[in-house]
Order: sequence, then structure tokens, then C-alpha cells
Amino acid sequence: SQCPQKWKRVFCTLCNSKKHSRDRCPSIWRVYLLKDEANDKALPMHRLYCYNCGRKGHFGDDCMERRSSRVPNEDGSAFSGDNLSGDLKRQYFK
Amino acid sequence: PLSPSKRTTNTDYPWILNHDHSKQKEIADWLTMEIKDFVAYISPNRQEIEIRNRTISRIRAAVKELWPDADLHVFGSYATDLYLPGSDIDCVVNSASGDKENRNSLYSLASFLKQRKLASQVEVIAKARVPIIKFVEPHSQIHIDVSFERTNGLEAAKLIREWLQETPGLRELVLIVKQFLHSRRLNNVHTGGLGGFSIICLVYSFLHLHPRLVTGEIDPRDNLGVLLIDLFELYGKNFGYDDVGITVQDGHPAYIPKREWRDLQPGRNPFTLAIQDPGDPTNNISRGSFNLRDIKKSFAGAFDLLTDRCFELDMATFKDRVGRSILGNVIKYRGKPRDFNDE
Ligand SMILES: [Zn+2]
Ligand SMILES: [Zn+2]
Repeated sequence: SQCPQKWKRVFCTLCNSKKHSRDRCPSIWRVYLLKDEANDKALPMHRLYCYNCGRKGHFGDDCMERRSSRVPNEDGSAFSGDNLSGDLKRQYFK
Repeated sequence: PLSPSKRTTNTDYPWILNHDHSKQKEIADWLTMEIKDFVAYISPNRQEIEIRNRTISRIRAAVKELWPDADLHVFGSYATDLYLPGSDIDCVVNSASGDKENRNSLYSLASFLKQRKLASQVEVIAKARVPIIKFVEPHSQIHIDVSFERTNGLEAAKLIREWLQETPGLRELVLIVKQFLHSRRLNNVHTGGLGGFSIICLVYSFLHLHPRLVTGEIDPRDNLGVLLIDLFELYGKNFGYDDVGITVQDGHPAYIPKREWRDLQPGRNPFTLAIQDPGDPTNNISRGSFNLRDIKKSFAGAFDLLTDRCFELDMATFKDRVGRSILGNVIKYRGKPRDFNDE
């Protein structure tokens, strides 16, 4: 963060993120092998818990409370509504 | 980058010998396969299991001979199949009269086992909070700890076996995290590290609360690689240890705001791991893990090392990938070479 070249914006051509470059894109390793059966399940909101505030109904990355951990989370983690597929994501952000 | 010679003669990650997955299209699948190989490598083979069972039967028979109203049971990592090669076996002697936890009984069992040539290097630790005798069984060279008149270890083992049944992937990830913490000397509760039960609870709750698993989108056994990285990311970077506790009551892992856990003793330092004991909701099973700072740092480091290796190998040619290890960047296995358990 002390870098004088900070104005040089990074951009990822894999996922269009401005937070990392193409060679350090989480999508290189954050790849899940989905089950075969079609996914038309309902999202169990009452079983989602937040790693940041401990409450129900949302994931830690999406918490509105102040961040508890002192390690920054700039680029998102697995515990985010963005890490759901298709219809489940739509249900979560509704 | 490793020198070519180091690639082929590695002894630090023997699980990759003759098990090359460098041609996998997805880096995450390569890591999944390495995790399965590591688990097969450290799992006991039939001969080791037979030796262990015979050893326990002999000691058990001796206990019953000395005290006809008593029995000996195995608990801890041997009772749940979550042990690393060379771990101690935890046993407990329980009796109908319930009177065996005293100095005299400890010494009489110790000398009885010595006399029967079932114990060498015997230590009697009578003054501890949990009095035990420690010894090495001379035929098998297995290290054994015996405690007395306690059932909580047996109950925990029964619960963990149920969790293993209903939670695919739990055994694999627990063994990896155990070996990881073991090689960094962060798995000993006496020095503030993470104990076996705490590790199991961390992985168990992770596997039930992960977005892809709570929705049933994936089978964890097909995704061990990405899940291992996600696990190190959660506990190394994001988990709110100051504010959040973990509960595993009634087979439902959940988080709980620490403020709402009434029996939790508020210490001076809020940065502590809090895991509610499934057998006693007033008890925090990880209260002894005072070195959370180093534990968290080591998990964060593992996340960085694994993802760095993924980025590096993603750019490498297939020729340069051959003989490389991803898991070897965070786990070493030093010790006697073992035969693969390919059963
Ligand atoms: Zn990207
Ligand atoms: Zn929250």
C-alpha cells in the first residue's frame, strides 16, 4: 500500500475484478465440482450463519456490522452470497 | 522454484511418489487428489491395526485379571480413527465400584503391567487434575496413557463417530489440519495449541456452514482441495474470534454471538477461541488454546502458501508440473517411510 505506483490500476481479465491481476485470480483455485442433479432447491436462510457477528441469515462477507477480524478482506471469501450458484444466489440477494 | 533434483527425491512429501496428478485441468482437483493420497499414506494398514488391537486386548485382559469389576476402553483419536502415525493411545479404566482413581490403584496397575511385561518406561502421574499412568508397550512400542473412572472421553468419541458418519470429508480435512498443526507444534493443549476435539469442531462446523455445503450444491469428497483452502481462509483471515463462538449442540453446528453465551467466562483478552462443549454447554472446550494468535497466523500463512502454489502451477507448463506437490507447500511428513494403504 506504500507503493508509489499505486495509480497503476490492476485488472483481471478472467473475472473483470479491479482487485487483483489475472495471474492471482481466486477463480484459478476457487472451483467447485457441482453435484449432477439439477439445482432447484430453496435456500435455507435459517441455517446460514455469519462468521463476523455470529447471527443467522447472512454470510460473514455480507455482514453490516463492523469487521471483527483485523485481517482485511478486500477480495471476498468463500463465505459470501456471491459464492452461490444461479438461482440460490438470486434467492439470497432478493 | 525447486531444483530438478529436489523434485524427484523429495522425502518431505512421500505421498506423491507414483501418484502424479499434475495433468489435472483444474488445480483444485489436483489438490483434492493429493489430499486423498496423503490420507491413504498416513492411514494404518491391516498389520498395524492388528498389532494395535492385539496390544489393547492384552492390556485389557490384564486389567480384568487384576480387578474383576473393571474394564478398559479406548477413547481419543484411536477410537475415532483420527490419529496420526505414532500418536499415543488414550485408554480409560472404569469399574463397577468406581474406586480406581487413587494413588494406590495407579501404582498397583503400573507394577502389575510391568510384572506381566506389558509395560516399560512406566510413569505414574498421580497428582494431576486427571491422574494417569503412561507407558510403552514393549512388543509393539506403542505409547499408552491410562486414566481412571471417567466417561466423558468415551461419550465424546461416540459423538465424533456419529459426526464422521454424517459428514463426508470430515476425516480427511481433520487429518490434514492435525498434521499441519503438529508439524508447527501448535497441536499441544499444554502449550496453548489446539487439541484434537477443538480441531474436529472447527472442521465439522466449517463443513456444515460453508455456502456450497449448506445448500447441498457439492459433495465435499469431490472438493477437498478448494475446501481446504477455504478453511484456512476462514480461520486464518476472516473468523471474528473476538465476537463469535461456535456451538455444535444436537448435531447442528452454528455460530453464536459470544455476548449471548451466558456461561462463557469473559477473560481480559477477547481474542479467544470459544467452542461450546456438546456434553456441557457451560464449558468452553478450547479455553486452553491460549496461543490463538499463532494458530490464526499459521492458518493465514497456509492460505497464502497454498494459493501462491496454485497460481504458480497454473502458469507452469505440464512438463514443469510433473513431480510437484501442492500440499507439500504446507505439510511435511518426516518419519519412517510407510507403505501406501491402497485398500
Ligand atoms: Zn479475477
Ligand atoms: Zn453478521
